[in-house]
Amino acid sequence: MLTLALVSDTFREALARKIFWGLFALSTLMMLFFLFLVQIDIVQGGVATVTRFGGSARTLQAEQVVRGVYGAIATFLYTFGMFLAVFASSGLIPSVLEPGRIELLLSKPLSRTHILLGRYAGNVLVVFLNSTYLVLGVWTILGVKTGIWSPVFLTAIATTTFIFAVLLSVVVLIGVLFESAALATMIAVALMIISPILAQTSLMMRLLSSEWSRTLWRVLYYSLPKVYELGKITLDAIQSRTFAGFTPIWSSALFGAVMLGAALAVFSRRDF
Amino acid sequence: MDSEYAIETQDLTKVYISRWARREVRAIDGVSLQVRRGSIFGLLGPNGAGKTTFVKALLSAVRPTHGTALIFGRDASQPEARRPIGYLPENHRFPTYFTGAGMLDFYAALSGVEASRRRKLIPEQLELVGLSQWAAVRIGKYSKGMLQRLGLAQALMHAPSILILDEPTDGVDPVGRRQIRDILSGCEARGVTVFVNSHLLAEVETFCHEVAILHRGKVALSGKTQDLTAGKGYRLTVAQPPEALAQELRGRATSMSARDGLVDFQFPSRESANGAMDLLRAQQCEIEALAPTTSTLEEVFVRTVQK
Repeated sequence: MLTLALVSDTFREALARKIFWGLFALSTLMMLFFLFLVQIDIVQGGVATVTRFGGSARTLQAEQVVRGVYGAIATFLYTFGMFLAVFASSGLIPSVLEPGRIELLLSKPLSRTHILLGRYAGNVLVVFLNSTYLVLGVWTILGVKTGIWSPVFLTAIATTTFIFAVLLSVVVLIGVLFESAALATMIAVALMIISPILAQTSLMMRLLSSEWSRTLWRVLYYSLPKVYELGKITLDAIQSRTFAGFTPIWSSALFGAVMLGAALAVFSRRDF
Repeated sequence: MDSEYAIETQDLTKVYISRWARREVRAIDGVSLQVRRGSIFGLLGPNGAGKTTFVKALLSAVRPTHGTALIFGRDASQPEARRPIGYLPENHRFPTYFTGAGMLDFYAALSGVEASRRRKLIPEQLELVGLSQWAAVRIGKYSKGMLQRLGLAQALMHAPSILILDEPTDGVDPVGRRQIRDILSGCEARGVTVFVNSHLLAEVETFCHEVAILHRGKVALSGKTQDLTAGKGYRLTVAQPPEALAQELRGRATSMSARDGLVDFQFPSRESANGAMDLLRAQQCEIEALAPTTSTLEEVFVRTVQK
């Protein structure tokens, strides 16, 4: 009951601050855009050709088109969508730490861990529901229109939520340390920006001349979240390509767990 | 819950250390207090005396540097120890996206009140604080006094055994203050311990059985309100005394004031008051009244913090 109350409070605040509705509206616009796209002649024609002549080669072509659209959606989610989600959610942690509000929460028979994790879970839930809405919506529109149902696209819900949860752990840590939504957003976005650069590890190992710089690069690569590679894994899965391995998943999960653990440790020792 | 005391602190100390300047501030310094269960206790002190830090230490919002704080015999840092507490913070900032009823529902849920019970209690509590008509209105539209009353309803929702109220009548009009006092009197009748942190000395004096005055982080004075304000002297009220006699009595009295044809003399002891009466009777003067006087809590407070 207590956890549910904390999660629903975060959700209620996200609704009141128009965060949920903002993301929801954006997702709806995306869906309307794709709905419009499948109505235009070139796509209509392609779909009709596939439907009329049906050959397996043409079906394969149509599938590739659909997978391309899925890939575009996934790319949107991991870049612009993720940026918006981090930007919108970053204020939800400092807001609960405001003087006059946190004391009342702390006076309740709750552990501090419970309070912070409830807040964290509420944030993740907001993004999970929005990404589910967008991915399911686009999947349904394209499925109904083309008759091609590719369930692997639905994994984008899990990976989007996972990446957000990892980035949110940084937002939470910065939030409890400095109570600054702006700083939390800056650092989370910096991690997103640096991710595709760090992903060029094999190239950089050849280019960097000194051993210490290569070591530094490896440390950064293995310790920071791999937003870019997680997105690429999903894209590879959607495009039925093989992907390099699960290192980006477990190392990012470890990063998120360490950040969240540090946030809980700081929060449990702080005076308010 | 079997302790004799609702609140018990032993040598409670909180030292804030500035991160950069490495400067120490002792917000509270070795505070040992006992608040008996069922009593109404007032914590007083000038600004910066450490009152709010003390309250926050009770709620575990600040971690004591040294010493212990117990709520009904349980370590205040344990979440379960806070279950019997109803708390109204000073300068509260309730989330404005709540309606009055929604806010009560949320905080009562966090206090462990079941949903069915909350549905029954919310209208009752809103009625108690006179906000029934505002149940569905977002609290961003509430006045400060209304928020204060709603905050009190929030603190009462889970039928707490102890109420910790930080400036409970702050921003409330006289009628609202009276209403809050009546609610707290009802709590007292039910055996609820009330701990009030306030700077309104007259209110504390009329309402609290016991008080403690914090000054520079330490307990400067504590005891029963009645004892602390007792034994100051006697006031003799005389109807139009002759000028020469009035001047003589003025020399013996600690103070003199005139009002509506009556003159009040304040005497420091029973002997000096009796001596004055002998003089007045010898000159056939009419004595209107003789009464023992007490210090006001304000006088006690000022004396204590100016030592």
